[in-house]
Order: sequence, then C-alpha cells, then structure tokens
Amino acid sequence: MRTAMFAFVLASLVGALGGQAQDGRGNLLRFCPGLGIPCVEITQEAYDRGHEQFRQSCGFCHGPTAAGGNGGPNLIYSAVIRRDNQGADITKLIQEGRPDKGMPVIPLTATQIADIVGYLKARVAEVDKTSGLRPSRDYDLKKLLTGNAELGRAYFNGAGQCATCHSPTGDLKGIATKYPPIELQARLMYPSGVRQDATVTDASGKQFTGELLQQDAFDVAIRTADGVQRSWPSRSVKVVTSDPLARHLELLSKHTNADMHNLFAYLETLR
Amino acid sequence: MRLLLGLAMTTSLLAQGVNTGMLLQRPTKNWPTFNGDYTGQRFSPLKQINTTNVGSLTLAWSFQTHQAAMKATPLVVDGIAYFSVPDHVWAADARTGRQIWHFSRTSSGDHLASRGVTMFKDRIYFGTPDAHLIALDARNGTKVWEVEVADWKFGYYISAAPLVVKDKLLVGMSGDQLNMPGFLDARDLNDGKLVWRWDAIPKPGEPGSETWPNAEIMARGGGMTWVQGVYDPALNLTYWGTGNPHPVYAGNVRRGANLFTCTLVALDVDTGKMKWYIQTSPHDTHDRDANQTPILIDGDYQGRPRKLLAMASRSGYYFLLDRATGESLVTVPYGGQKWSAGVDERGQPIPKPEAEPTVDGAFFEGTTTNWWTPSFSPDTGLFYVNGSHGFSIAYLMPNEETGKVEDHQGGGATSLWSETMLLALDYRTGKVRWSRRASGATGGNGILSTAGGLVFTNESGHLVALNAASGKVLWHVNPGGNLTGSAMSYELDGRQFVLTPVDGVLYAWALPE
Repeated sequence: MRTAMFAFVLASLVGALGGQAQDGRGNLLRFCPGLGIPCVEITQEAYDRGHEQFRQSCGFCHGPTAAGGNGGPNLIYSAVIRRDNQGADITKLIQEGRPDKGMPVIPLTATQIADIVGYLKARVAEVDKTSGLRPSRDYDLKKLLTGNAELGRAYFNGAGQCATCHSPTGDLKGIATKYPPIELQARLMYPSGVRQDATVTDASGKQFTGELLQQDAFDVAIRTADGVQRSWPSRSVKVVTSDPLARHLELLSKHTNADMHNLFAYLETLR
Repeated sequence: MRLLLGLAMTTSLLAQGVNTGMLLQRPTKNWPTFNGDYTGQRFSPLKQINTTNVGSLTLAWSFQTHQAAMKATPLVVDGIAYFSVPDHVWAADARTGRQIWHFSRTSSGDHLASRGVTMFKDRIYFGTPDAHLIALDARNGTKVWEVEVADWKFGYYISAAPLVVKDKLLVGMSGDQLNMPGFLDARDLNDGKLVWRWDAIPKPGEPGSETWPNAEIMARGGGMTWVQGVYDPALNLTYWGTGNPHPVYAGNVRRGANLFTCTLVALDVDTGKMKWYIQTSPHDTHDRDANQTPILIDGDYQGRPRKLLAMASRSGYYFLLDRATGESLVTVPYGGQKWSAGVDERGQPIPKPEAEPTVDGAFFEGTTTNWWTPSFSPDTGLFYVNGSHGFSIAYLMPNEETGKVEDHQGGGATSLWSETMLLALDYRTGKVRWSRRASGATGGNGILSTAGGLVFTNESGHLVALNAASGKVLWHVNPGGNLTGSAMSYELDGRQFVLTPVDGVLYAWALPE
C-alpha cells in the first residue's frame, strides 16, 4: 500500500509538472519527511527551474525559498499548498491572486506555474523533517574553523594528553588532508570504525582471537582472521578485550567545547 | 455448537468491559489500560511467576501480526487481548492467541507508532496516523464512530493511547515534522466531540508567552503530548509531559525558556486548566522532551507520607514532586551530563549556553531516556528506567541560501559514543541503586515490575526477568528481535501470563502447565 501511495504522489506530481519531471535528465531528488508520509520526487532540473521561477515571480514577498519575505507569508505553513490537489488550488491562486490580502495576479504561463507548483510541493517535503539533519561530508571548513590553533597545540601537548599517544609529525602528519573537516572534527574526539579485538577462551581451553563484534551479559561474538564470525553464550567462555580507544573515551568526559574547537583548528594546520 | 456456546459466553463477558473501578485498582486478572492502572507504575501484584520459578518460564502462545514493530502495550480484559500497530487493531483470545477480530484502515500521515488502544465499557478507542480518533465495538471490531482531531497535512498524528477519565477521553497529539503547536484534547466518550483543549503553547499575553521572542515563532512552538499521561482521582488532576520546542535544534530563533514545551503539567480534568508545571528541559535544543510517563507514588519522603510524582525525564534528570502542589522535592541527574549548570529555584535544570547547537558544532554530553515506559515497584521502592549515556556534536544548520532556519529540525547531531543501560533508582533520592549495561540500542523496551519480585524488560536483544531488588538475571531468551513495546501481565484460569511485543510478534509467557 505504501508503494502505491508513493506512486500516487509521483503521478500527481508529474501531472502537476505536465510530465516535465520525467524528462530523464539529471538526478532525481527524493524528499521523505518521515515514516509512511508520502515522499516527493522531482528531478534536480525541475526543482531548480521551479525554484528560479519562484524566486523571480514570488520571492520578493514570500522569500527566495518560500519561507517568508517582505510581507508575504511563509508558504511552508500554507494550508492552500499543503491541501492542494494536483496543483489546481495553487494554480488558481497564482492566476486569480488574493486581492483581499494584497496578493496581485501573477501573469505566468501554464508551464511556469507548473514549475512553481512542483517546486513548492518539493519544498514542503524538503522542509518537513522527522529527524535531525546530518552535516554533509562537504560541510564547509570555514564554518568549523572557529578555534585557536595555538591554544589547540598547547592543549594537544599539555592538558589534552593527545601527545602521549599521537605525534603531528608521525601518525597525524597530514591528517587534515586525510579526512573532510566535518569528519576530522568528530574523529579527534572519538574516531569511529576503529576495531576492538578480543580473545575468547572456550570451555575446552581453545582460544580464538579476532575483531570484537558483540559483548554483553548473554552473547559474545568475534570475527576471526579467516573472516568467519563466531559467537558463544557469554557465560560459557572467558573473554579478554583490548580497546585501543579506551583513552579517547576516558578523555571524552574531560574535553570542553572550546578544547574541541581549538584542537580542530590545530589539526587543520597539519597538512 | 461448542463454537456457538463459546461465542455466547464471550459476548456476555465482553458486555462488562472496563469500568472506572477497574482502573482505580492495581491490575490483576486484567490489564485494562496502557499503564495497567492510573498511577503509571506498571506494577503487577501477581506473583505466581516469581524469583524462585521464573527460570522455567515458557512460551504459552504467540501472535504474528505480519506488520511493523508493535510499540503498544496490549490490554487484556475479560480474557481477551487488544493490541495495535498503525492502521491495525486486533482482538485475540488471551488463553490461546487465537485471533477474534482484526480491524484495519489505510491512512495517510506519520506511521511511526501506535502506542496502544484504550478500552472503556464495550468500546475500543485509538488514534490514527492521520490524526483521527476512532471508536470500535469491542465485541466484533466494527467501527462505531470516527472524528478528525487534527489535520495530518500539518504533520499531526496520534500515537498515544487515549486516557479514559470519567466521561472523557484525553487524547494526546503527536507531530514532529513541521513547526506546529501541541495540545491535549478532552473528548466525549460517546461521540468524540471536543470538551476542552489545553494548548501547550500560550497565546500572546498569556502566562508563558514572555518566554518566547515573538508571537510568530511561539505560534508554531511545539510541545506535543505524545505519551499517555496519568491521573489522580482524589486530586482531580491529570499529569502529562509535553514535547520539545520547534525548530528542534535551533535555539537561536527562540530565545527564552519556551514554555510549555519540555514540561510536565498538572491539569484539572474537568476544565483542562493548568494547576502547576515544571519544565524538565528549559529552552531545549537537544530534543530532550518531557514525553515520559510520570509515576504517582504514595510514599514516604523525609519521614512523612506524601502524594508524590516521580519522573525520569529525557533531559537526564530525575524529578520528585509533591503532585498536589507541584513543589519540587528532588531534581538530580541520573547519569553523566555536561549540558546543565545545575538547577534553579523551581527545581528545573539550567541549560549552559555553550551546549546549544552551533554552526561550528557544540560538544554535548548527556544521559537520556525516551517514551519507553518506566516502572515503579512499591515492594523494592525502586524506579526502573531504561536509558543511555553518550557524547555527540550538535550542529545548527540554517538554509544555505537565506541564512535562516527554515526546516523543522534546524540542525542535527553526530553521535560520537554511547552506551545503554537499565537503571534502578531510589525513588526518594533519584540515586542509582544498581544498573545494568547493555549492548545495542535501547529502542522501545518498556519495563514491568511484579510482586513476584521481578522486573521484565529487554537487554541486549534478550527478554529478561531480573531480580527486582538486585538486578540479577533470573531468566532470559533471545526472541529474535527487540522488545518494541512494553511487557504486561494478567491472570486467566489461575495462570499468570506475561505478554511481550517483539517487533511484529506478540509472545505470551507462562509457567509450564
């Protein structure tokens, strides 16, 4: 049923765009606000075209992204747009204006209106979000570079205890060129994806060493060097683990926000 | 003939349904409401299954829904179980798991969760992904009436089971995709018509409006009521938590405490007027809502009996209050945190400005829980809650073109490290008496405590029965998924059952016959 629902939305969107969303060029954008809420799909070209048309024809009052501008309401919250069926209501509004609310008739062609309809429907689905955003891998370094590299260096060599394991001329040489800035910021605090090893001794005394996959009160699982995953009930084996990130974890509760930004600024100098 | 006789008996039994008296007692034969009774304690006085024999617990029956995760707590009334997932409600024989009826209805809207159904007399009530309220005939699952509570096109939906109080249904509202205001409705049991509405967000000039920078942002401020509240009939008060402010991570566009979001409120059930409040996460910027079940405890505090309310909130703080007046008795963190600079004179945490999401990232440490139900055992005096502790970096992410916050989230967070655990807190102090670390996510596992000296929950993908006093594991099984709803217990033909929703399957556990 959910598939059917998506298909319906796509069909209605395509209808609104007069088939232009299916022109076969460029990337398809897919905006899914949340579980079971219809997604909206639109090509990048159709989105950009609609956005540009909106900017030109509507942006002055409603803002360039439909989120409100000089006197015009934020259309993200507009009941007309949210309840619109296949573009008819929006089209009528553009063609007839809202004289009582000071909105003039906007002289546009049917194609231009269809572009705006497509953009607005996509925009609503783009802005509605049931979970937090993820900073993209190309998150701008300038946004992150607010710390003091000198203070970061001092912290690295002093209170931060980083220098007890790491060296700017050794393992961290050129670190700023190895990771996108957004990843480096997270990794300097606690690197993700670092493998933890364990040695499991079973009841017969046989030992297995490998990457630790799970360990809790009930089960322990490792991947041995041959690539095989093995698991045991925890109570039946002895497990010795080594966590290379134990010091990082210890220090996590000691770092401050300023320490993080200063350390980041310092590591960004290691190019 | 036997079938006919069975049907006739079932019908006559069903005619009783749930009555107010049943909701005022601890749940024994029945589990007639989401939390078992009005207190929110989720404590079953049953003790056939206990610390001495729980090791032999065995599967009595199971029910396959073939649907998404069941986040509900099943009800059992007069030998029949009622349970739900979004768009579906079932009735099944609580002896055997055999389906009696199945109601389904395709809907638009957010299908994140159905947190259960509600029964009163011979009606079943529940909310839908498109924010409608529906009443069914409990005998056969046919629809009696349906009303729209809110417009799903603005992100509203209903996940919480309504709470029956007197002649009303208290209907909590969900919605977390668009900046919209939250509210709690009281609706007529007979036809779903609105009796009163409590708005979580004040209007300009009203008390609380001074905690927002302007009317425009306030009007869309959030505060959804998406976890069922509790009720004290003697005080005539109902207690509900509200959701986070909107936009979620962008504190810069809504300077101030943002009342009454992330707030525990006490409302008069006849009028919907607020008697008192405490904000569990003032000016929240990390989705630390107050949508956790408050628990009513009549117990000793500093040597004298008090009518108490206890809540382990998502902010990572444990609150103990006098529930008649709202007087704050205890506010303490129940785990590591660095976002708060202490507690104000009302017993509310004080957020540190540097923990607020920023464009360059704000380092955050906190302990938290969520909607999954806690439990309180009057036998051990312990408040049980599943939670997690972790570190993250939180970002404010305005629109690139306009530089303004335009989407509902306004940012997000990168998790660095976290651990999950079950905590047993001394209800008088909030201090951790014992805890158990788990692997994997906490997601959804509610808690049941029993007079058999047991705590039922999920740990590391196993259903567990723990010694309620010590936390020692007495029984565990890997059921092939996580406990996604909450365990509950009932007695039928002299046999105690424990029901556990695990993804799309409901398992019934009992001692061997």
